[in-house]
This record gives sequence, C-alpha cells and structure tokens, in this order.
Amino acid sequence: MKITIENNEAKFLFRIADTSLILGQRLAELCSKGPFLEEDIALSNCSLDLFGRAEELYKIIASIEGNKFTPDDYVFRRNEREYYNIKLVEQPNEDFAWTMARQFMHDVWAKEVFTQLLSSKNQQLVGLSEKVLKEIEYSLIHSRDWLYRLGLGTEESNSRTQAAFDHLLKYVEEIFNFDELDKTYLTNVENIEKVWQDEINRVLSEINVERKEIQPLTMRDFRDGFHSEHIGHLLSIMQYLPRAYPEAKWS
Amino acid sequence: MVVIDIHKEHQEIWNYLSEVPDPEIPIINLVELGVIRNVEKQNESLIITITPTYTGCPAKKLFEDLIREKLIEKGFEDITINTVLSPAWNTDWLSEATKAKMMAEGISPPTDDNKVVICPKCKSENTKRLSQFGSTPCQSFHSCNDCLEPFNYFKCHR
Ligand SMILES: [Zn+2]
Repeated sequence: MKITIENNEAKFLFRIADTSLILGQRLAELCSKGPFLEEDIALSNCSLDLFGRAEELYKIIASIEGNKFTPDDYVFRRNEREYYNIKLVEQPNEDFAWTMARQFMHDVWAKEVFTQLLSSKNQQLVGLSEKVLKEIEYSLIHSRDWLYRLGLGTEESNSRTQAAFDHLLKYVEEIFNFDELDKTYLTNVENIEKVWQDEINRVLSEINVERKEIQPLTMRDFRDGFHSEHIGHLLSIMQYLPRAYPEAKWS
Repeated sequence: MVVIDIHKEHQEIWNYLSEVPDPEIPIINLVELGVIRNVEKQNESLIITITPTYTGCPAKKLFEDLIREKLIEKGFEDITINTVLSPAWNTDWLSEATKAKMMAEGISPPTDDNKVVICPKCKSENTKRLSQFGSTPCQSFHSCNDCLEPFNYFKCHR
C-alpha cells in the first residue's frame, strides 16, 4: 500500500498530526518507567492526549482526502520519509530533564499553533483546536513546573537540564523555516517564533539555565520528510505488530 | 398522538443509555457524565451522537461498544454512533445530583474554578493538593487536613 497525499491542507495537517503522534509514542515508552507513580501516570496521560489529538487530526485528514486511507493506515503504513513531524519530538528520552525540556519546547509551540488554528475555515479543525488547547494547558503546566524544580533544584538536576537544552535546541531552527503551506493555514507564522522564543527565554532565565549560542545541526527540513536517525527505531517498534500481522484485530 | 409517541420512545432510549455506567467511575452513567449529546431516530435506524471527555480518553472506543451492546440488548439493530468534538465536553454538564453521587462514592466533585476542594469523607474544606496529576487527566490527588482522608478530586474542566 502506497499512501498518497493530494490536498494541501492535508499536507499541512500531517506536520501537526505526526508531531503529536511521535511525541505520544516517546512518552508512551516511559509507561511503567516513570520516576514515581504519580509522574508515571501523568506522563501516560499526556501521551494519551497526544495520541488522541493525532487520531482526530488523521480523521480530519482522511475526510479531506476522500477517505482513501484510514487513520491506522497513516500511522502504521508510512515509512520514515513519509513522516512529517518536527525532529525535536523524535529525540529519545535520555533522562528526565531531557524528557521535560523536549515536552516544554513542544507544548509552547503547540499552544500557539492551535491558537491560530481557531481561525481556520475548517470547522472540524476549529472544534478540535478548542478542545486541544485545554489539554495542552495541562501538559504545559506539568512540563513547565518540572523545569522550575529541576533548574532550581540541585546542582545535578540543573546541569542535566542545561545539557538537555544545549542538545535539544539544535533541532529547533527548522520549526521556524515556514513555507507557503504554513503561511496559508496559519494566521501569523512570525508570531509562532516570537511567542516561542520569548517564553523559552523567560523560563530559562528564571531557572538558571543559560541559553547558549547553539550551532544548529545542518539537516534537511522535516517538511520534506527528513529526520534524525532516531525515527527509524521508533517506527520499527511502533509499527512492528500491524506490519508483521496485517490481519491482527483487537478482540 | 404521533408526536407524543416519538417523544416517549426517545425518553425510553435515554433511559436505556442511563443504564450504561462510565467505565472509570461506574457510579455515574454516560448520560450523567454528559458524553451523550443527542438521540435521533430515522425510520428504523438509531443515531446516537457522543462527545469524548478528552481527545485521548482511552475509554472512547469502549463508550461506543457499551452503548451499542446496551441498545442491541434492548432490541435495536440499526445503530449509528457519531462523535462530535464541539461544543467541547466540560464539567458544567454534570448536574448537582450527579455531583452528589460522586461525593457519596468518595470522589470530590468539581467546584467553580477549583476554588474549594471538599473532603468526601468529613466534608471539610481544609484540604491540600498532593498531586495535580491523578489517576486520569480529569482527576487530581488530594488529602484532608482534618480527617487525613486521601481522595481524588474531579477537576473543573471548562
Ligand atoms: Zn476529611
């Protein structure tokens, strides 16, 4: 089965849907491995929100595309180069500071993106955005709270948080290289970068983490399906079962 | 006469749906939870419109299965279940009677903007939050400063 995408709005929505899905999968990897029970559950709940968000977006994509494919087809039958998530979210969990830094950077981006989608001409998308924004707030409170505790905690937690940002910030530049599709379906792309930079800088300055001059990795754009090496491993685990047993069903 | 009959049948279907418990908080049913938005009959086919509490609610599919199961048990065959996301589910749809049922079951019900969290055991308002992230996204974890009861609070969601 070769998945095709015809419509421009669908192409644009894949970027957001795939970003939600891949981050959801990263958080799901932590299920039963959280640092303590409440945190384990919080991470799983955030993961579920991301999967739910992705599923609803794939449903909208499927209907735009005339239901040629189902959300399951989109998730389980595409290869690396057919995924359009931002590279930030495919980075592995490494340690807890890393997980929370990645989450916070994503949540700030996602909040502004869905805020702009409230003005979409697509009413299904508007309804979803209203709902999703409440859920992003939950995740954002969680990730931001943790950064304060880690940044202002011990020397060890601070240095790990510093290391996490030093590394993850290398993957951010591409997010703001907006193309014509972004400019068509978002209302103000410049504001996405502005809101993001302001909020990241504000929080980092309050938690004693330095925003260093980072040399971005020169990798081609996620909008063209380019990734870091990590996505292949993630997809192989996530897609293994339906690829190996195409007839498998929940019973 | 016909109008009254349709109304009566509708009421019956709503009553059947009230027999479907929420999988996570079985003391309240899906109608009380507010996830069932509309019941419509077109000729012999029955169209039920539902809305999820959260987009990532793991019980989303289960809601549909339980509704279908109940209606088949009541003799319906042609059942369509549609999902809508707008207007978004919120805790203002929980009635006072439903909140009282939750309280009796040991789950502190949502209050206006989470201003007070009441201990379901001794009804004290002198409680503290232990974790903002409870067993489900809709609940947080608290304890009572007076009677020491640990309990879940169903968060105000708007
Ligand atoms: Zn008490």
